[in-house]
Amino acid sequence: MAACRKGLDRVLFSLSLLRAHNFHNERFLSTSLCRLAAENSSEPPKFTPPPRPVIIDKTQAAASLRKFLSPEFVPPRQRTVPFKFSIERQDMIRRRKVLDIPEFYVGSILAVIMADPNASGKTHRFVGICIKRSGKGLGATFVLRNIIENQGVEICYELYSPRIQKIEVLKLEKRLDDDLMYLRDALPEYSKVDPDMKPVHVSPTGEVPVNKTKVRMRPKPWSKRWERPKFNIKGIRFDLCLTPEQMEHAQKWAQPWQEYDMLKEYDTTKLEEEIFSEVQKEMSK
Amino acid sequence: MAAWSCRFILQRGIRLISLQAAPESPVKVLSSIRTVKTTTWFEENLTEDNQEYMRKTIAEDYLKQTAEKLNPLKDEPWQRNEWTEGSRRVGLVAVKLGMAPIWTKTGERHVATLLQVQDCHILKHLTKEQYDGRTAALLVGGKNVSPFHRTEKEMEIFRDAGVPPKQKVTVFRVSDNALIKPGTPLYAAHFRPGQYVDVTAKSIGKGFQGVMKRWGFKGQPASHGQTKTHRRPGASGPGGDPAKVFKGKKMPGRMGNTFITAFGLKIWRVNTKHNVLYVNGSVPGHRNCLVKIRDTILPSRTSTLLSPPFPTYFTEEEGDLDEDLYDENMFVHTEPSLTLT
Repeated sequence: MAACRKGLDRVLFSLSLLRAHNFHNERFLSTSLCRLAAENSSEPPKFTPPPRPVIIDKTQAAASLRKFLSPEFVPPRQRTVPFKFSIERQDMIRRRKVLDIPEFYVGSILAVIMADPNASGKTHRFVGICIKRSGKGLGATFVLRNIIENQGVEICYELYSPRIQKIEVLKLEKRLDDDLMYLRDALPEYSKVDPDMKPVHVSPTGEVPVNKTKVRMRPKPWSKRWERPKFNIKGIRFDLCLTPEQMEHAQKWAQPWQEYDMLKEYDTTKLEEEIFSEVQKEMSK
Repeated sequence: MAAWSCRFILQRGIRLISLQAAPESPVKVLSSIRTVKTTTWFEENLTEDNQEYMRKTIAEDYLKQTAEKLNPLKDEPWQRNEWTEGSRRVGLVAVKLGMAPIWTKTGERHVATLLQVQDCHILKHLTKEQYDGRTAALLVGGKNVSPFHRTEKEMEIFRDAGVPPKQKVTVFRVSDNALIKPGTPLYAAHFRPGQYVDVTAKSIGKGFQGVMKRWGFKGQPASHGQTKTHRRPGASGPGGDPAKVFKGKKMPGRMGNTFITAFGLKIWRVNTKHNVLYVNGSVPGHRNCLVKIRDTILPSRTSTLLSPPFPTYFTEEEGDLDEDLYDENMFVHTEPSLTLT
């Protein structure tokens, strides 16, 4: 192999010399001819293997580079002293140093491995679409939904429970709504996820892709009247299941003045900035 | 702040009268006169500069007073005794912060209430004769507040102990060997993880409530011919022979806003840096209310109290405590995830 490579080197070297010579008397010799001549003179042509392809493993979820603060870090608006949230945050950061909790949103597809004394092998893996994130502080939860053997299954996981072994994001995306509880009343195809799904690569920078699918619903009655304005749902094809009269009737419960209620404003941007820098600092320690 | 704004309204009201003498202005003045009561002695008698100066000095004074008391063992502590079975220690006054979940090493989830001990000091020692003739008692106060709205009698107690005025003052009955010198600070490390405590606080007031909410009566069915009878108490007692309703009959009335004790709550964790206690389960009272914590009196739980810091925890003696003391069954978040068998 080494000898072969040496021979090859020699061929290439002579070729380059000839080419350099070429520039001076271009009129007389063409490069192709010259190459032929060189090959004929030294060695028979050998197979040169193409350069080794660099395989980018897109299945591996790259660590996110975008600025993301998990929503449970933002304290709710209430009269609790901020110290309570800061002491809870310390515990959350301690847990996050042990367990990698990735960035994910409602609508992302996750796989969770959890210690379960009743499962065979003592761990249980569940794949599903995240339909809800709720709770603040250490008690934060998220709900995964899937259809298994034609039966809808939902599992509510505690984000900071020590029983959680691993949280994997199989497909990082957002949906049109921040709460997908209406998938319970939608056709099962919308919440069905393949349990053996391979992770889908999403670039670690830039905006998170938004999946703009609108779901078709089962006939009424639903678990909630999703057409009511208080849910403000954009991801349902209401035109297929409700008449225009029904849609107009639902507007009876609209409260358009609420958005102008200054007492209900809760701007957390500044607070989020502070908490984000604190979390970054603590996590890098 | 409320006082300030009210005063502003008052001045404007007077100005309105003097300038315009309009017919509607007296109404404003009337409403503002009532709010004068919220102003303090400072605002009535001092200029603004002096008020600012006084507030600053008082705050400095409080800090100095609490800092001086940090080392109570240095200036002649009272005679100290050994822990014996059956002695009763003093308790603490703490602020209820809120609730948070905790997990055990078997993966079970519990909820715990966070109680923070803020500026808790021993205020006064009451001898057996002074208290009730049976046991001695210690007055304990928690959370520094403004000296206004305290009577002279109360202020005298704080002055004698050399501590700032406290928002809540409670009495703890203690055995004679557990007496502590007034002015000694108390810390959360007074209680240790694994022991059980009783927590007393004033419950959240619910106002006037019916029997279903107040006493858990069943009420009546919603339909099947009920007329105006769905949540009513029904019959209230025996008929002909006693011919009366017995005293103490459960009836509608004011609910909540009474002192309630939650017995036998386990302490899961003690944060000695910020003086936070993690107490199992819920505790009466609203957020940020002041609660009274003592060693439990439940006979089945007293065995958990094995050689506690007696008469209390002194920083000089056990200064090398960890920042967090955990119960042996509690999951610590720095440990790896649980694998259950």
